[in-house]
Amino acid sequence: MFKRLMEYVGFEPERFEVRWISGSEGGKVVETAIEMAEKIKALGPNRKMRDAK
Amino acid sequence: MKQIVDRLRQEAARLLAAGDVAMVIGYAKGTDVARTTPYFATNEEEAQNLTWNPFCTNNLVKYLLDFRFEDTKLAVVVKGCDSKGINRLIYDRQFPRERVVVLGVPCGGLLDRSKVLATIDPGAELQSVEDLGQEFVVRTDHGEFTFAKEQYLLPKCAVCRNPNPVISDVLLGEELPVAEEEKSDTFDDIVEMEALDPAAKSAFWDRHFNRCLRCYACRNVCPACNCRECAFEQAVPGWQQEACWLSKKASVDNNYTFHLIRMFDVTGRCIDCGECERVCPVNIPLRKLYRKVIKDVQELFGDTTPGLNIGDGLPLTSYRKEDPEEFM
Repeated sequence: MFKRLMEYVGFEPERFEVRWISGSEGGKVVETAIEMAEKIKALGPNRKMRDAK
Repeated sequence: MKQIVDRLRQEAARLLAAGDVAMVIGYAKGTDVARTTPYFATNEEEAQNLTWNPFCTNNLVKYLLDFRFEDTKLAVVVKGCDSKGINRLIYDRQFPRERVVVLGVPCGGLLDRSKVLATIDPGAELQSVEDLGQEFVVRTDHGEFTFAKEQYLLPKCAVCRNPNPVISDVLLGEELPVAEEEKSDTFDDIVEMEALDPAAKSAFWDRHFNRCLRCYACRNVCPACNCRECAFEQAVPGWQQEACWLSKKASVDNNYTFHLIRMFDVTGRCIDCGECERVCPVNIPLRKLYRKVIKDVQELFGDTTPGLNIGDGLPLTSYRKEDPEEFM
């Protein structure tokens, strides 16, 4: 739901990701983090909602 | 429409005279021909000032909360859209059902004030309004005017699905027929918005949120925004005096945070009465935000319009096995 809202106000859909990973799935955490980091690198830094920080 | 007004005055006078209610919250003549003002009648004479016409835009339900800590019984005049707000307050346990007498008015739509004032002199005296189904005939001391509904209705009324109150103790008039094909919403405006690319969406909302004054009028008027203490009005800024989510400064990124939080809070709860958009002093198209969440909830959880009845659980606070699991 929240992801849809973010997209609606103009965030790139790839920027926000929610995953359900169990405590016993260490490998999956690493995979997801690497995958996410690559996506973000490709997108470049977020300029949205950053003006006053 | 005269019958409704007569019936309303009669019913209000009866309730007040019998001591059934301490106050009738309704509408009275406003300062110009296309305006009405919220009116609080406390005795029989005042009840005669109550009125009803297609300029009664305000949703009066929120006024109930001004009396939520008292024990008096109140009567309130509602249209179809407003009546969903009554269900909202009862479901949210903000106002007990037994303390409110709902005076329901079947509503054939409301006229767009600005469009009407382009035709009629604001100083004219309103004499009567008649609803002919496809058009309104407005009689004033400056003559008679006809307004085709197709052209002059408020945007929210043009797509209205609930002309008849969904909850009422006294129905002041005949129920209006609703065509079967009108019962579901197609959300054309939202689909159009979704289809834009991220940069265009971003530019659109940047432009609007940039003008937001954070006056909180949208929150104050909203029947779904009924917390006693608001996250945005802490003595020390920052939710529960901890993490500082949001400063009081009205800058575009703070405004984004405010609108996103409010949007998420009314998810599955917004009744689409359109009051937020009406009261916004800088004309931000807020219904475009909140109708988006109505659409998403319908797609994801299959729920119909919130507020249609008191008993429906809220999609984001209840669990069902068939809930979507997009994040698995």
